[in-house]
Amino acid sequence: MAADVGVKNKDARNTLLGFLGIAALVLVLLFVQSLATAEDPLRGVAKFNGALTLFAIWGIAAVSLNLINGTLGILSLGHHGFMLIGGYATGLLILSEDARNRILVSGRSTMTERTLGLSVHSWFESLGLDALTTDDTLWLRYLVAIVVGGLVAAFAGLIVGIPSLRLRGDYLAIVTFGFGEIIRLSASTRLFAPLTNGALGFPGVPQRFASDQLLWPFGLLALTVFVMAKLKYSSYGRAMEAIREDEIAAEAMGINLAYHKVLGFVIAAFFAGVAGGLWVSWLGGVRLDFFLFQLTFFFLVAISVGGTGSITGVLLGTALVVFIRQYGDPLEQSYAVSTWAQLVGVVFLIAAGAVIVYRSARRVRPRVHPVVYLLGTAALVAILLGLVAPSFDFWQETFRGFGMRAIFLSVLLIVIMIFRPSGIVGRSEFSWAWVFGERRDQPTEEERAQDAWLTNPELQRRLAGDEENLHSIDGDSKGES
Amino acid sequence: MSGSKLQSAATGRNWIPWLVIGAILLVIIGRILYLGTISERFNAAFFTRAGIESLKLGSLYALIALGYTMVYGIIRLINFAHGEVFMVGAFLTYFLFSGSPYSWPVAALYGLCIAYGFMRVLEFWRGRLTDPLVLVGGAVALLVSTLMLATLTVNLVFALIFSMLLTGVVGITIDRVAYHPLRTAPRNSLLITAIAVSFLLQNAGLLVFTNRQTPFRPDTPINNAFSFTILGGEVRTSWLIVAIPLITTVLVVVLTLFVNRTRLGKAMRATAQDAEVAQMMGVSVNRVIATTFLLGSMLAAAGGAMWGLNFGSINQPAVMGILPGIKAFAAAVIGGIGSLPGAVIGAMVIGFSENFLTAIFPRTPDFRGITEFKDTFAFLLLIFVLLVRPSGIVGEDLSEKV
Repeated sequence: MAADVGVKNKDARNTLLGFLGIAALVLVLLFVQSLATAEDPLRGVAKFNGALTLFAIWGIAAVSLNLINGTLGILSLGHHGFMLIGGYATGLLILSEDARNRILVSGRSTMTERTLGLSVHSWFESLGLDALTTDDTLWLRYLVAIVVGGLVAAFAGLIVGIPSLRLRGDYLAIVTFGFGEIIRLSASTRLFAPLTNGALGFPGVPQRFASDQLLWPFGLLALTVFVMAKLKYSSYGRAMEAIREDEIAAEAMGINLAYHKVLGFVIAAFFAGVAGGLWVSWLGGVRLDFFLFQLTFFFLVAISVGGTGSITGVLLGTALVVFIRQYGDPLEQSYAVSTWAQLVGVVFLIAAGAVIVYRSARRVRPRVHPVVYLLGTAALVAILLGLVAPSFDFWQETFRGFGMRAIFLSVLLIVIMIFRPSGIVGRSEFSWAWVFGERRDQPTEEERAQDAWLTNPELQRRLAGDEENLHSIDGDSKGES
Repeated sequence: MSGSKLQSAATGRNWIPWLVIGAILLVIIGRILYLGTISERFNAAFFTRAGIESLKLGSLYALIALGYTMVYGIIRLINFAHGEVFMVGAFLTYFLFSGSPYSWPVAALYGLCIAYGFMRVLEFWRGRLTDPLVLVGGAVALLVSTLMLATLTVNLVFALIFSMLLTGVVGITIDRVAYHPLRTAPRNSLLITAIAVSFLLQNAGLLVFTNRQTPFRPDTPINNAFSFTILGGEVRTSWLIVAIPLITTVLVVVLTLFVNRTRLGKAMRATAQDAEVAQMMGVSVNRVIATTFLLGSMLAAAGGAMWGLNFGSINQPAVMGILPGIKAFAAAVIGGIGSLPGAVIGAMVIGFSENFLTAIFPRTPDFRGITEFKDTFAFLLLIFVLLVRPSGIVGEDLSEKV
């Protein structure tokens, strides 16, 4: 009984801590938001604000991709396609009246009056809900637009999910990639141009919800994480994990493969559509090149680096990716070649040191791999040449590190895949018990005592491999009978 | 389980594919005859031109698809980075060809890589990298390439050869650095790594080469105009129409001979059958894999160079490799992944569907044409083939795997 009360107390404590944590987060977000409106000459707060928003938007997409990649175990590469559908739908439904009129009068637009008439505003008007068409209630229309965008994307997820019933592994990955690219390529064709305005896209999506109000994207992120966590520990999530581990065994246990796979795709696509809606709102418009494969790659990095299958890990990975995207821009500026040489030398030195540490920790011989000598020599030469270059007047031309952030992310992904394929946190999730150093996955002494099967002394001896005593017991019992 | 299903389907309804092919051919012929009646524009010359253009495009795809199919046959990896290797080949050809002479250290660095690639190629013949003849060959290659790069402007043929060797070295390096540590890892990790390598190469291309579309119209004989008449219509095109399929044929024949006639080729086939058993039989699997990457990357480099010549420009590094790469992969799957003839057949199917279909369903007053959708054909065909006949046209069991 005592243990029971303890567990209940801990549950109450965890709930309380959870609410306190959320409240603290909300306060921090409100504080940052209030800072952004104040004077900000260096744009540091605005940049941080942007990083937070980006974290929330990409977090939604990455957590939803994690449902397919981590929980369901299917490598899906078409998430940018779902985001595109959600983004275009939301953008079209919430487009401001000014922007609609400008598109209508411009000669280059391919959108018609009918497709431009598609808006939550006009729906509400035709329903007679004039109170909901004012500027004050834009948030409600935006919410409706985002939900509709998510539903349209979910429908696309249904279509994409169907091939997953027949295909497995890397073929399926290619097919999802193909679907993503088909969605992207056909969005600009004349068939869909009345809806998408072709390659031009359209500006004029209200930005107020994604960039000015941090609570919007973070609220939706919290909703996504809540749904995903609930799903993960529900029977559906367990079934999906069973499918990930072994499809045939899962089917033998009576799990409906087709249903769960398609369900996973639909839910993930819905949240990807929501993320797309926030994304176009953040960017203030819709264009085809907002939805490149690059996006899916970033989410893939977030998932694989953070921890495949763990929501905590995915959020951690997203934070890392967003940090590099937002604060890695010093890498992409122009420096003299000698500076670059020194930088490359330092990176090589760090890599060489990491190899030595790794091999020592793993007790692999030789501790100093030949590659280390190569790397170390190259690093020293590069640093030395970089240092003397200014005095001997060579390597002085500047060089712009275009694409360095993406290079960094891909190298990071390769390194993680080689040395820690399950990601930084693996499959474990954040929990308060972990924070307090409690292990709730282990039974308490009392629970152990209640378990008659485990307390059977004969079984314990057998488990301990105590062969001699085992034989004596067997002998005794035989003798008695 | 699925194998038995496949076999019964194959033995039970053998006539269905033929029926489908026949129906498609009938539709195409009917469409051509119909188009001939509605406009003067659609004469024999129009369709001949569309046909040979498709052949040209198909042979370009074939060069890339061979790399995909070989790598998949050996290590069961969809080498996502192959499209980017193709891009690297195109850019290296461009820079080796149109660049003015390099400074000595740069030329020596290029020369070292070229010599290493050349030694790997000579290794096919002598069997060991440390064989005296191979070493002599490498030294000669180093001297010749360094001298050429440092003193003269290289002509197109040499630029192509150098670029193939360099790209081959790039391929080997990718395998050694990124894929080799993951030989026993789950397939998904390997595929994610391949995607990362592809992204890395795209951005490295952006960093090293350029971020703009690069015009590539060298003043060489194969770019000259070439025209002939057929059934009274004149077909105006360039000598590339002869050169590209010809070079592709030569390379494919050499590759097939290599795979079928040499010891290393035999080792490749054995590894494709069963890597573990091959290793027990004394095949050096790592060497076979390196060879596969070398050959695939060399073919991709040739494809990239000719792609640039064909379209008159090389696209931005970040986008050049993606579509051709993934279409070539689709070609490899359509033909039957793991099979060399399958890759060529699949590439032709893609080339014709992309070019010939858009030609016979052109824009007419009452029809918008399907040109806009041509990039999606490869994906649709890929999905269709994967759902209906995952073993592809040639099929895995019917032909030799590599």
